[in-house]
Amino acid sequence: MAEKSYRDAIRDAMMEEMDRDPNVLIMGEDIGVYEGTFRITAGMLKKYGPKRVIDTPIAEAGMAGTAVGMAMLGLRPIVEMMTMNFAIVAADQILNHAAKVRYFSGGQVDVPMVIRGPQGAGVQLSAQHSQTFEAFYGHFPGLAVVAPATPADAKGMLKTAIRGKDPVIFLESAALYGMKGEVPDDPDFTVPFGKSRVAREGSDVTVVSYGRMLQLSLIVADKLSKDEGIEAEVIDLRSMRPLDLDPVYESVAKTHRAIVVQEQWKPFGAAAEISASIMENAFDDLDAPVERVTGEDVPMPYARNLELLATPNESHVAEAIKKVMYRA
Amino acid sequence: MSEIIMPKMGDAMTEGKVVRWYKKSGEAVKKGEPVAEIETDKVNLDLEAESDGTLGELAAQEGQVVPVGGLLARILGAGEKDEPQRRATDQKDSVKKTTGEYAEAIETKGPRRDRSQPIEAPPPPATRGSRQRSSPLARKMARELGVPLESLQGSGPQGRIVAKDVQGFRPVEDRRPRLSPPSSLESKSIPLSAMRRTIAKRLSESTGPIPHFYLTVDLDVTSLLSMRQQLMDIEETKISVNDFIVRACALALRHHPNVNASWGDDAIAQHGDVHVGIAVSTPEGLITPVVRNADQKSVREIGDEVRALADKAKNRKLMPNDYQGSTFTISNLGAWGIEEFTAIINPPNSAILAVGAAEARAVVVDRQVVIRDRMKITMSCDHRVIDGAAGAEFLRTLRQYIEQPLRLVV
Repeated sequence: MAEKSYRDAIRDAMMEEMDRDPNVLIMGEDIGVYEGTFRITAGMLKKYGPKRVIDTPIAEAGMAGTAVGMAMLGLRPIVEMMTMNFAIVAADQILNHAAKVRYFSGGQVDVPMVIRGPQGAGVQLSAQHSQTFEAFYGHFPGLAVVAPATPADAKGMLKTAIRGKDPVIFLESAALYGMKGEVPDDPDFTVPFGKSRVAREGSDVTVVSYGRMLQLSLIVADKLSKDEGIEAEVIDLRSMRPLDLDPVYESVAKTHRAIVVQEQWKPFGAAAEISASIMENAFDDLDAPVERVTGEDVPMPYARNLELLATPNESHVAEAIKKVMYRA
Repeated sequence: MSEIIMPKMGDAMTEGKVVRWYKKSGEAVKKGEPVAEIETDKVNLDLEAESDGTLGELAAQEGQVVPVGGLLARILGAGEKDEPQRRATDQKDSVKKTTGEYAEAIETKGPRRDRSQPIEAPPPPATRGSRQRSSPLARKMARELGVPLESLQGSGPQGRIVAKDVQGFRPVEDRRPRLSPPSSLESKSIPLSAMRRTIAKRLSESTGPIPHFYLTVDLDVTSLLSMRQQLMDIEETKISVNDFIVRACALALRHHPNVNASWGDDAIAQHGDVHVGIAVSTPEGLITPVVRNADQKSVREIGDEVRALADKAKNRKLMPNDYQGSTFTISNLGAWGIEEFTAIINPPNSAILAVGAAEARAVVVDRQVVIRDRMKITMSCDHRVIDGAAGAEFLRTLRQYIEQPLRLVV
């Protein structure tokens, strides 16, 4: 085990897979000579050369479409989106091609590609560059959609994405790139999709989250334990598609109350899907309605003070926990 | 033409009241359609037409009490004319129709439903303005613990009953003496309901002709209470002390067929089955649903059945088959904190057992004062059927079943 940043964990995963499999390559804007806007690809052009580390024009639809073709013919392309917001331009390639080719070909052709990049707020990138997309992509069959919350999961899940047969939307959190954590050294360490984990055990309330909001939930859980004696069980979903809610139902059977924390807007968000599933599958275990903690329903402001107001913070999570415990 | 007459619902029924007509005279009726709501001494019923036609002149008005077999109305076929009405109370003419002819005109099906409500929904508790809110978990726990939600105060938002309200429920606390709020006094007369009339008639018939005598014993229920707790832990369900007493009585009755008997003018009838009636209090009055063949059922089965019957009784959904045919009756006022009392025999039974509260008391065992759980029971006997010694022997057997409750399982 070594302590690594989330950023380095992602780079390690790609380089280990490029060492292991010559069919793995990466393309994106400013990833080669400039070494990436967030410096994820630092040193990669030098090591693997321009055939496997490809600087592209500013043309996301072209990048994604090229990758679909490469994947259909046996390569394993990784497309880095400078932010996931730019992938909206490539939505047709992703949703109508990458996600549909296996279905249309009657299962004859797989599309083993990864579209990865940062998303979310917290680093003052304003309305167009601070959005999150797990609910958007999670809606479409044919894709895998993951959002790792720790350096170890970032590495293990990206390796699973590169090795798999599906088109994977790999959602990184820009605000977590500097976060450090223990990461296994084993080059074959992978984290499977569709396996949620209990990130913190507790008996009083179930907190369901993923990505950056998982880290926020853990901070609140520790505080409430220390200050108020409330023991929250925090569950890290890790992937939206496939979505594994069994640990959530098991937890709710124990705690009888749940909140879901997401960064994105409330209407039609991931928390809506998750809380509806809890009500469908654990109704008789609930002692209170499932509560959602979400971002404010506005385009993300640039100003730091307003950005903080528009995203979930510690007191939002604590209030929701107390509300479902009838302690508000 | 077919006749609608007052049906006979059970042996004890001699008359019934027309609560309301769903159809007017001259209105078309279809087979199976409810035409009138009838109040009997135990339940309310819908009378359903058994043939298509037109409703003739109404022989009984709403609110009128009509003897069994009395004509209520006729259903006329096409082109038929109503005959001159005989009076609904003209029993002489109608009694002969009580044995089955009424079935040609009317089919009685199930307890009454309020036809003005499109969906069969229980009426909201009278004391609350709107629907009582409760969490799914609270409802599940209440179901499992046998706690009536109506008896709880919700502590959640808008009075929602939540899990801790159910956990905090202790029936014992309800027994603490508490003054009910005084109501303003006024002179008024409360009309006798059919049920109240029946209770009065039957109990007078009991204490008058039946020579009662009473036998009281004080039983040690320490083992029984501990066994009950173990069973509840294992079964994860509510089992009441009374469920054990029902089984104990049923088994004891098998040893004493002379107690499981009824007085007749020419002979004493000993019954081949043990059917135990349980006195249940409802807002309208007392009723005694019956656990049939209670000697062949486990404590758990008896408990489930008693609770289902009590629910039906409280909602006036008991069918005659649910409350007729008992061979012995148990009345338990333990939950009200009554130490001991005497009960009036429920004819044609020859005995009734009045059960008091089980509570910890200081008693002398081996010349030492110790604390034991004790419970007093009093059996009322019909002296025409049961002599003093016979009653005492029955109680001795019953004592063995209750004080050594393992006997209830072997």
